[in-house]
Amino acid sequence: MNEIKHYDCKYYLNIDVFKGICKRDKVSINADDPACESFKYAQKCKHCSNFSATADNLGTCMNSYEAYPEMNAVTCDDFKQ
Amino acid sequence: MRKDQDISVQTDDSLNYYGPIPGEGIAERELKKAPTPRAGKARQTYLEAKSSASVEFPYWYTRRWEELEGEVPVIRRAEALKTAFSHLTPGIMPGELLAMRKAGYLRGSFPLPWLSEAFFLSKEDDLYKEAQKAGKASADEVTTMGQGGGNVTKSIGNVISIAGKFGLRKEEMPILIKTAKRWFNKSVDDVGHKYEQLIPGYQTKEEIMRAVICMFDSGYTLPQGREVINYYYPLQFGIEGIKNICRENQDKSAGQPPMDRLYFYRAVIIMLEGLQKWIMNYAVEARFMASLEENETQKSEYLEIAERLDWLAVNRPRSFHDALQLTWIFHVAVLNEDAISGLSPGRLGQVLYPYWKEDIDKGVLSKERTIELLECMRVKFTEIDCFASMGVVGGVLSGNTFNNLCIGGLDKDGNSAANELEELILESAMSCDTPQPTLSLLFDEKLPEEFLLKGVECTKIGTGYPAWISNRVAMEFLLNNYGKEGMQTEEARAWAIGGCLETSPGSWMPLDLNGKRHYIPGGSAPATSVGVHFISLPKVLEAVLFNGIDKRTGRRVYPAHDSPLESYEEIWTAFKQYFSLTVEVLTLANNIQHDIWGKVTPSIVNSMLKPDCLDSGMDISHKGSRYNRTFNVEICGGVNLVNSLASVKKNVFDEKKISLKELRAAVEANFGYLSALETGSYSLTEQVKTGTFKDWMKIHKLCLDAPKYGNDDPYADNIFRDWQIWFSKMCENYRSLYDEPLYSCQISVSTHAPMGAVTLATPDGRLCGTTFADGSVSAYPGSDKNGPYALFNSATCYNHASSQNSQLNMKIHPSVVKGREGSRKFLEMIKAYLRRGGFHAQFNIVDSRMLKDAQKNPEKYRGLMVRVAGFTQYWVELGKQIQDEVIARTEYEQFG
Repeated sequence: MNEIKHYDCKYYLNIDVFKGICKRDKVSINADDPACESFKYAQKCKHCSNFSATADNLGTCMNSYEAYPEMNAVTCDDFKQ
Repeated sequence: MRKDQDISVQTDDSLNYYGPIPGEGIAERELKKAPTPRAGKARQTYLEAKSSASVEFPYWYTRRWEELEGEVPVIRRAEALKTAFSHLTPGIMPGELLAMRKAGYLRGSFPLPWLSEAFFLSKEDDLYKEAQKAGKASADEVTTMGQGGGNVTKSIGNVISIAGKFGLRKEEMPILIKTAKRWFNKSVDDVGHKYEQLIPGYQTKEEIMRAVICMFDSGYTLPQGREVINYYYPLQFGIEGIKNICRENQDKSAGQPPMDRLYFYRAVIIMLEGLQKWIMNYAVEARFMASLEENETQKSEYLEIAERLDWLAVNRPRSFHDALQLTWIFHVAVLNEDAISGLSPGRLGQVLYPYWKEDIDKGVLSKERTIELLECMRVKFTEIDCFASMGVVGGVLSGNTFNNLCIGGLDKDGNSAANELEELILESAMSCDTPQPTLSLLFDEKLPEEFLLKGVECTKIGTGYPAWISNRVAMEFLLNNYGKEGMQTEEARAWAIGGCLETSPGSWMPLDLNGKRHYIPGGSAPATSVGVHFISLPKVLEAVLFNGIDKRTGRRVYPAHDSPLESYEEIWTAFKQYFSLTVEVLTLANNIQHDIWGKVTPSIVNSMLKPDCLDSGMDISHKGSRYNRTFNVEICGGVNLVNSLASVKKNVFDEKKISLKELRAAVEANFGYLSALETGSYSLTEQVKTGTFKDWMKIHKLCLDAPKYGNDDPYADNIFRDWQIWFSKMCENYRSLYDEPLYSCQISVSTHAPMGAVTLATPDGRLCGTTFADGSVSAYPGSDKNGPYALFNSATCYNHASSQNSQLNMKIHPSVVKGREGSRKFLEMIKAYLRRGGFHAQFNIVDSRMLKDAQKNPEKYRGLMVRVAGFTQYWVELGKQIQDEVIARTEYEQFG
């Protein structure tokens, strides 16, 4: 799981751009540190079937509007796993 | 300027005019109280958090905006806001009692490219280069940002630093650039710029900005704020109730002129739908957090949050806790609508008192629980960041956002409005001392002595708050200013401070709660401090002395006056001409910018809250508010101007000890010192002499020895009074966008640092690049030698009610105010000033040696706070210019 970061996890709660806490374990964690075994994919654009990558850190949503892979989609009604 | 000179350092202390450098041994402040464990933990998390920006809100806003091309602008704006609020990622920290925040991070904020898109682009970007060509970039170049605390001053790893303060995840930069570019030629900044070029004297306006004679444009930087929010409508009607009001009015206004009403009511409904989704998203997140929680207490707190938010997304609050949560939601909602500093909760303790009293009487709330909630509220307010350029966020705001909570004052009937909840607000501000919300005590003779002593107790521990403000002077100003719009004495009593120190009108609104009617105060005007912002008076005088040229850049700013300046009157006349021209061109340009702001990004959230927009169907940019005389002229460096004029008058014309030519030469040579920009030190005690120092020593001494404001000396004070009377009168010659006369405003916030940085030495002996005197009636550091009461006499030599405010900062050694006796003496001194007609005084109770130690060892002082202007800030988050200035302020070691 080394390539996957806390930042991509469903249980990651942002404090700032560097760090957050684990919603499950309540411990402080760095966003870019490797995820643990309890990792679950966060609901992000890059994990959505409506997202198509077009360049580094860029893509499109539903093949129309520009989007970016790291955006949280937890509030997006159109998110599809 | 002095690169060709010998810069050998002189160390002879006998040539140091600024007094001795403080010695060893730091005096501590009186002991502080501890916060509740819950608030203490939240505050610690805050102290370890960095300012963080995200693109989520601007992304969704822009996406929806573009989808609706051709739609009525206010509807388009409402839809964009709805979509942005609906998509904000919720985050709830363990232990929180008040949920919701601006953005996805604890100190979260975001760019608003629809206001100004260029300044946050990377330096390589073409748009940024375009922005650099305009004069407005100059303020950024001369501002220093605090290097510690939560500021992300450098890019590290996957985080990019923006404006020396905000961290942005590297992954979000490409979409930020793309989003920003979509606003090119469409933002308020760009569209306003297109039209401001049509004003007569536009070129002069640009040169004024480039010379940093004016700090920044008003219309696209911080178009709202410096005002008091009004929480009445959500409290009285609940969100669904407001929607119902709008639906009824929408039906009545469809097809009826003026048609703007229809669109406004429709826009409010759409926007509120967005807020409801935003609130309910948090409720969903609270339930998710509860589902992961094993601790039963924490689990039930999450579930309570979820239930409360679900309720408040629709209904009126049922309790104090509900009401506090709802006021917080709307506070954040307004803050997310625009780039805003100085959105004050106003007299929140009086707004919430009916709920609190009822809960206390019913036995469902204790004072201890109240304190805990209020402490949590303090941490929440402290988390508020405002995303803006370095010049604005560092040079003006010092990283603060000026959410000012007022206590005291008078009620609707003219009796003391102080209440028990306000005492708990003071208590929580002592136990959980954080920069925000800062407190202002609206002093009136009718306030109980114990309440005032409680205020003194809070000031004494070094929080910098409450600031002490005269209710009488404020009411006199308000009745003069808003009388033509119908303000009567009763309504004048509903005022509060908006932002740092902006006297703002209010109204009494009828809140019905369980069969009883209560009149609660709230703001009833839009931003009371927009318009001509921060004119550097010493820099205007510099232009007078050098015939319209900015000596720093060599550029012509003003048309040459070509006056021989053979008398003091000729200098004063030329000054008035240049100053008037400055106000004239800036008023015209800012009127255009604000008009464009109202057309491109009209306020919907704040408009809905402000009486009487919901009645009239007009937003605040269409004069829907009850009071609309809200544009002003703000100045900076007034005391240095007065001291300089006194020096010129005395030395050149009255006593003829030096010629004006010699004085000019001395000023250009910085009296034989290096400039502060060369030494990197802005402390007046630590300037470095060059080899030519002795050539200028005689003139410098004459300048320093000339009469100084702050000593009860009529020579300087008469000049000060003449300036004040002329300034307040001349503002009325200019008309705002709302076709009302401008008025004078006298706070410098943090601008005395960057504006001092670009100004040559001044005829009062101040050196090049050093910071101006702070505030408006504070003495120049070290120049007030006759004690505080002499300073009070100087400060009150004119009527403070002729201006929106005045500002007096004082630094007092902790030993002077020790114990109960010290408190009483301190209170008597404050009363003496306010009774003489002073509008405002605020205090740093601190030993300067502690501040110097904090400069050397910032890691030991993360929680140290100081009073800067109308706000308190963490020491480590202040720029060095302001740190040096606060250290240099005169420190009183006795009251007599």
